[in-house]
Amino acid sequence: MIGFENVRKEYPGGTLAVEDFTLEIASREAVALVGTSGSGKTTLMRMINRMVDPTSGRVTIDGEDVAAMDPVRLRRSIGYVMQASGLLPHRTVLDNITTVPVLRGTAKGEARERARELMDTVGLDPELASRYPAQLSGGQQQRVGVARGLAADPNILLMDEPFGAVDPIVREELQSELQRLQRDLRKTIVFVTHDIDEAFRIGDCVVILRPGGRIAQVGTPQEILAGPADDFVASFVGADRGARTLHVERVDGRDVVVDADGRAAGVLAGAPAGGGNGSSGAGSRGTGSHRADGGHEGGRGQEPPR
Amino acid sequence: MSSTATQVLFDAPGPKGRRRILLLSVLSVVAILALLAGALWQFRSNGQLDPGKWIVYLRVDYLAFLGQGLWGTLKVTALAAVVAFPLGLLLALARLSRFRVLSTLAAVWIEFYRGIPMLLVVYAFLLALPAFGVTFPRFWMLVIPMILVSSATTAEVFRAGINAVDRGQHEAAAAIGLSRRDAMASVILPQAVRLVLPSLILALVTLLKDSTLGYVVSYNELQFQGKTLVSITRYLVQTYLVVSVIYIVINFLLTRIALALDARMKARAAAG
Repeated sequence: MIGFENVRKEYPGGTLAVEDFTLEIASREAVALVGTSGSGKTTLMRMINRMVDPTSGRVTIDGEDVAAMDPVRLRRSIGYVMQASGLLPHRTVLDNITTVPVLRGTAKGEARERARELMDTVGLDPELASRYPAQLSGGQQQRVGVARGLAADPNILLMDEPFGAVDPIVREELQSELQRLQRDLRKTIVFVTHDIDEAFRIGDCVVILRPGGRIAQVGTPQEILAGPADDFVASFVGADRGARTLHVERVDGRDVVVDADGRAAGVLAGAPAGGGNGSSGAGSRGTGSHRADGGHEGGRGQEPPR
Repeated sequence: MSSTATQVLFDAPGPKGRRRILLLSVLSVVAILALLAGALWQFRSNGQLDPGKWIVYLRVDYLAFLGQGLWGTLKVTALAAVVAFPLGLLLALARLSRFRVLSTLAAVWIEFYRGIPMLLVVYAFLLALPAFGVTFPRFWMLVIPMILVSSATTAEVFRAGINAVDRGQHEAAAAIGLSRRDAMASVILPQAVRLVLPSLILALVTLLKDSTLGYVVSYNELQFQGKTLVSITRYLVQTYLVVSVIYIVINFLLTRIALALDARMKARAAAG
């Protein structure tokens, strides 16, 4: 569990990045911090591994104040994935992934073996192990970044707009891979993004921030879509433009979901009584091509027609 | 240098521009040939082209004498470089240090030796220090000033290299839990040294040329040997031409190595 208690960050020169931020992040949950630039989202995330120290207030991990921990040891215990991957250009893929475990004293051979497993987990061809980052595509680099973040098997994974620099198709691919990873690994993920769609895809819980780190709304994607707290949130998620509104049309005896422009978005899953949409997906026929199993994705598609 | 860099910096010349470039190239080649011809003509009318004055440089004892000088030059340069470059790196790190006192001391040291002509430092060792009873062998009277001056200039090369490493690399290193020292040693420095390697080889060329100050302390490096040869044979023009050619060849080779390294590094960085 990660706790923010009345956190404030003021930079020398008077810039106020975060005014007064309080939040609790449950363990094994993916939380997306989303906001425009200047909303303090990255600053807040960096307080967790002490890349930034708050001016006042406390940040705690499992009740322990991070200010009392040694920053270097703290950072080694927390995975970090950054934009443009932040890989070390003079080291091979494998060496990049093993950096942190080796620093923590894992034997090199063991670390390499685990790194190869991780490459498999994040969907990287084992042949890439001896390549240098410059020889990889953007998407591959990002996968290496994720593998490195997971290398020391941390409980917490911080992700700072990790998919911001790759093209939309690859981004979507990486997002679904991350969803899959998270289903298997159940880490506590703090994910910073300015893309609300990404936040809804990744986050079990989404925190929408206004400038100065003020919380506009906290909730599951379903809750936020169902009841935007105010006009700011409504406009941020696009509800005010009708962009999120889906309708159900009956075609050939089946319910087809149609978006605001009348384009087909998918088919309602087959449970005739409705509602019994098990997360395993075993009972329901997997019809909608975009459906991730269970959770919020389904919730989005089933907004009541207007 | 690489043609792509030139194309980025300048537009490719059109037909008119190409004609003008060709014309100017021809004119300058003609001018240079004319100058050379004039010089040769002068030499000839003064009897400097007399084969007897040149043939001696094929004699084994002459070559051995100059070879001794060349050996001295290489020895001095190599030793100075081996000490000065690591020292330069340490000075650069000191100057970038968070400890005010250390960084100020390093800055003063670097600026002092960077700003002072090396000849003055040599004089200090040759004339000033002995007045206080401190004397060094001739070899060290040349090498120590070379180290002092070269370490100061290479310190600035290293500092520029360290500062040129992407700022994101510092952040990336910190974020994954490298301490400042680890980050410097295993992330920043390897990249910085790669960046400045060509400049370091060029610093080696400068160092080699600086070793000619050996004549001041009468150390047997190439230039001093040449001077001695002149005083014996009186073949001033011939001797210094031969000596110059030797310097040019060595420095040309060093520069080629620097360029080749640079090209290889760029190729590797862009690979894939």
